[in-house]
Amino acid sequence: MPRQWSFPRDHGSHPQYRTEWWYFTGNLQDGRRNKYGYQLTFFRYGLALQPRRPVNAWSIRDIYLAHFALTDGTRNAFHHAERVSRAGPDLAGAKEKGINVRVLGWSAAMEGKRIDLMASHREMALALRLTPAKPVVFHGERGLSKKGPGLGKASFYYSFTDLKTEGTIGVPGMTAPVAVSGTSWFDQEFGSNQMTQDQAGWDWFALHLSDGRDLMVYYLRKKDGAVEKESSGTLVERDGTSRHLRLSGIETTVLSRWKSGKSAGRYPAAWRIRIPGASIDVTVNPLVAGQELVTTAAMPITYWEGAVTGNGTSQGKEVAVEGYVELTGYAGTLGGIF
Amino acid sequence: MKSVIRSFLRYIVRRRGLSALQLLGIAVGVTAAVGMMLASRSALKSIEGAVDFLRGGATHTLERPTGPLEEKVLAGLLTDPAVRTVAPVIDRQVRIEGGERIRLLGLDPFLDREIRSIADRIGESESGDVRRKIFTSFLFDPGAVLVDAGTAKRLGLSAGSIFKTSQGPLRVVYVFPNPTGEPLIVADIGHAQELFGMRGAIDRVDMVIIDDDPFRARWVRGFKIESNHQKAETLAALLGAFELNLQVLSLFALFVGVFLIYNTAMFAVVSRRRDAGILLAIGASRRQIAAAFLVEVLLLGAAGGALGGVLGFLLSGFLVKVVGNAISSLYFFLKPAALPWSFLNLAGGIFLGAAASLVGCLPSLLELGRVQPVRVLQGRTASRSAPTKTKNIALLGVLCLVVAGILFGLASRHVYVGFAGVFAFLIGASLFTGLAIVLSVPVLKPLFSVAMGLSGKIAVGNIRENLGRTSVAVAAFMIALSLSIGLGAMIDSFRQSVVWWMNSQLRGDLYISTKGDVNVPEDFYEELGAIQGIGGIDIFRNVPITFRGKPASITSIDASVLQRYDRFVWFEGGGENWEPVKRGSVIVSESFSRRFGVKKGDRISLEGADGPSDLAVTGVFYDYSTEHGVIMMDRSTYLKLFRDRTINSLGIFIDVTNPNRRQIIDEVKHRALVRGLPVATREEFHKRILDIFDGTFAVTRSMRVLAVIVAFFGIAGALMTLFVERRKEFGIYRALGFSTGDMVRMTIAESVAMGFISFATSTLVGTAFALILIKVINLQSFNWTVFYHFTPQPYLVTALTALAASLAAAAYPVWSVFRKYPAMQIREE
Repeated sequence: MPRQWSFPRDHGSHPQYRTEWWYFTGNLQDGRRNKYGYQLTFFRYGLALQPRRPVNAWSIRDIYLAHFALTDGTRNAFHHAERVSRAGPDLAGAKEKGINVRVLGWSAAMEGKRIDLMASHREMALALRLTPAKPVVFHGERGLSKKGPGLGKASFYYSFTDLKTEGTIGVPGMTAPVAVSGTSWFDQEFGSNQMTQDQAGWDWFALHLSDGRDLMVYYLRKKDGAVEKESSGTLVERDGTSRHLRLSGIETTVLSRWKSGKSAGRYPAAWRIRIPGASIDVTVNPLVAGQELVTTAAMPITYWEGAVTGNGTSQGKEVAVEGYVELTGYAGTLGGIF
Repeated sequence: MKSVIRSFLRYIVRRRGLSALQLLGIAVGVTAAVGMMLASRSALKSIEGAVDFLRGGATHTLERPTGPLEEKVLAGLLTDPAVRTVAPVIDRQVRIEGGERIRLLGLDPFLDREIRSIADRIGESESGDVRRKIFTSFLFDPGAVLVDAGTAKRLGLSAGSIFKTSQGPLRVVYVFPNPTGEPLIVADIGHAQELFGMRGAIDRVDMVIIDDDPFRARWVRGFKIESNHQKAETLAALLGAFELNLQVLSLFALFVGVFLIYNTAMFAVVSRRRDAGILLAIGASRRQIAAAFLVEVLLLGAAGGALGGVLGFLLSGFLVKVVGNAISSLYFFLKPAALPWSFLNLAGGIFLGAAASLVGCLPSLLELGRVQPVRVLQGRTASRSAPTKTKNIALLGVLCLVVAGILFGLASRHVYVGFAGVFAFLIGASLFTGLAIVLSVPVLKPLFSVAMGLSGKIAVGNIRENLGRTSVAVAAFMIALSLSIGLGAMIDSFRQSVVWWMNSQLRGDLYISTKGDVNVPEDFYEELGAIQGIGGIDIFRNVPITFRGKPASITSIDASVLQRYDRFVWFEGGGENWEPVKRGSVIVSESFSRRFGVKKGDRISLEGADGPSDLAVTGVFYDYSTEHGVIMMDRSTYLKLFRDRTINSLGIFIDVTNPNRRQIIDEVKHRALVRGLPVATREEFHKRILDIFDGTFAVTRSMRVLAVIVAFFGIAGALMTLFVERRKEFGIYRALGFSTGDMVRMTIAESVAMGFISFATSTLVGTAFALILIKVINLQSFNWTVFYHFTPQPYLVTALTALAASLAAAAYPVWSVFRKYPAMQIREE
């Protein structure tokens, strides 16, 4: 069932659904035109409908995870860190009104239209201020994004595809944090039972075209190698209007592959994406080849999530492309202890 | 050369019995030293291992100066720029069925994975769904715990087992490998809070901090922050006295062991004088003979040492358990594991045996250098210069005692100076044995003559005649007996002091929850307050603190109740001390006063929940509860300073004149029982304290047993050598008409007389040794006064030991007499 959306309420947590995430990725540049990518994502996994002893702060309802990654195009380096916690005595949590999610000191908080991101881990640091340049974009059918055949195999999914971003980041190897600016992408997704048993993972693209258009495409891959027919995309125009793209209207070719030394996963590593119905034909390449996150906490997940750049044409004109790609299920199955 | 050595080695085989005894003598000496040293090393290694394992990757800990910490502090710490990782910890104990206490850690498996490996390994050995189930159960089920493999095995627990504890039943969800010997139970922190009734609170935070100083500056008020370095220092200070005790015992063991080996080696050489004389007479050079001696002694020493190394290793397995019990009752709930076998034990044993043997045979070798073959072959070996020699040696003894006295005077500089004094004293005392023999023989002669006739008289005379040999045997025996008496008298005096202290300070009729694992809910205290007829309730709280960088503790009590019912014995001041305590002053224990140089009238500064506080010290009291020192204050003062309302235990006082005494006691017992709080009567409480005391000194007692065994071998070896050496005299006795019975009596009399002289000397030396332990060593390392208290037991036990050892030592010679005496002739071999 499509949802009656109401913001800022729906930016907040939806504890009645089992899983939920707030996903920030962005492509940044410093004063010397050095390129960076960042990812800061927060997950909530419900483990119980109610904590067993609500009076005890440690009594668990949800587990919160956060992944933080920085890609340094100049040094060809990738750094990532993770945090896991129960809500506990003010250790982690997501408020129900507006974006306000924290995991052990890392946070995303919305104040009016502005979203502040904060995270630091050893030499990695990030303090960014994000301002939406386009309104909320709903994916699928008014924000109900099908993930497979049958009822319930869907999630609620919307984005800010174009967030003006300013702030500072600190990358290992730097002497001091640098001021950066660029464009971020925010996804919020929640649901209870999205993936089906026969699905192996997904490939997700979030691209900014320099003519102002934004493109989201995701492929759900089945274990037998086929692509789930519910896979789809969304095209956001310069003025913020968007339209749903069916699988049949998207043509993607993998141009090369990269093999991880850490997980032995073999990931696609360059793509040509064509949307004939929107006159888009672009090629994208990773900013850095090795942008794989190998997490070890309570939910060990290994996936590739990285900044990409590219170029091509949109409506007949040359465009530059920047964005993020997420590739899951290439190095073992998803899901850890939970 | 070879033929000389061969002739010597043949002797070893020929005198199998004696050689075996000498070998055993060396082996026992080495066993004692190696066993004790290994045991103390194992114990300390185990502690270090457990501490390292539990500390994990943490660099700092943060806690309240006393009592638990509010859990909301964690969120603040997370935002501190110097903090890399925080992990909350609840660190308590539970008592399981059978009374054993085990450490229970409450951890958050998510936060803890950055610090320790325990949480990360939950369900490690299982896969997928099973592991998920285990982890989920650990997080969600109250009472779900992890138990370490060693404890699980010992208690027969496995995943799914339920076991009873003082905090209710716990269910094992997983058994985890624990590389250390510390029994551990791990629960999720939320469940641990519920188990110990401390919702909203934790005991401490383990952290990784990158910027020490700025961090401390931000968290200075009301917190105790300790770096690993400081923690290590605290631990070292905490274990200092204990470690020292083990070191001393190892040194004593070594001392006695070396003495015995020396003694044995010396006899080995002495018994060969005749052979040396013969060899010299037939043309062997002195160098050849000396070399042959060395080879023999070193072989004997090495073989005995090797045996001792192995036996010492076996002994350490037993001693480690004894030491472990002491550790558990004092510091940690640790089961120290014995160190694994290492060939170093063997090498060490061989070295020790050989080196001590070498030292032991040196004087005899020197003497051998001057041996006149003709004189030796004539038979008598007593030297005419004996009286002068005895006097000179005694003078050397006086010198040693003077040195000992000087060292005792300087003992306050370092406790090792005191030990050096002890050894100087023991060596000095042993040098008087020759004189002791010379002086006691005239007294013993008529005694033995009356008791045993001519045989007895001759026997005593023989001791005097063979002074060079007998004095060393008596010295070794005497030192061993002195150690037995000294250690025994020290323990008894200490025990009496503790009893005296308990009777003056722990005079409650009932004690509730004194076992340290269950706290008393505050409303229970109020509930008891409502019972008619209770004279007073002392509300007790004890917390370890760090004072001026050293461990100490704070005890909060109800000053009015103690003033009325207890009879504190004051080191400084008197009963008037209680009035200012009620108004906010503190009193300190003797050990605190000595450790920190704090006296009545001084002021001390304590770090409270709101920062430092200045407190007046109005008295110093005797206390044996902890050597680290106690600051005692009224509960009102404590609450104001630390806002910690925890109650560890209660002392219930009922007026003796109260006619309903019995009923009131029963009523309190009943109510405590309903709450699941353990109750002890005064007698039971006192007994428990004494049990702990006895456990602590179990190692020392084991050392006494060792001393006695060493003593036995000392005297037995000496007697046998004397016997072997004087075989020819036996021929003369036979020619003079002495019967086998006479010879047996003579042998026994000789042995008993030597035992008697040793014992008589050891009563003096042992008592002096006990006094030194009490007044110098104990005062130095524990900072408390122990009052010498005479109990006959150590003396009686030692006397019986001496008698038994002397008789047993005579057994082989007596047997030889029966076997060989009738056939003996005066002839040259």
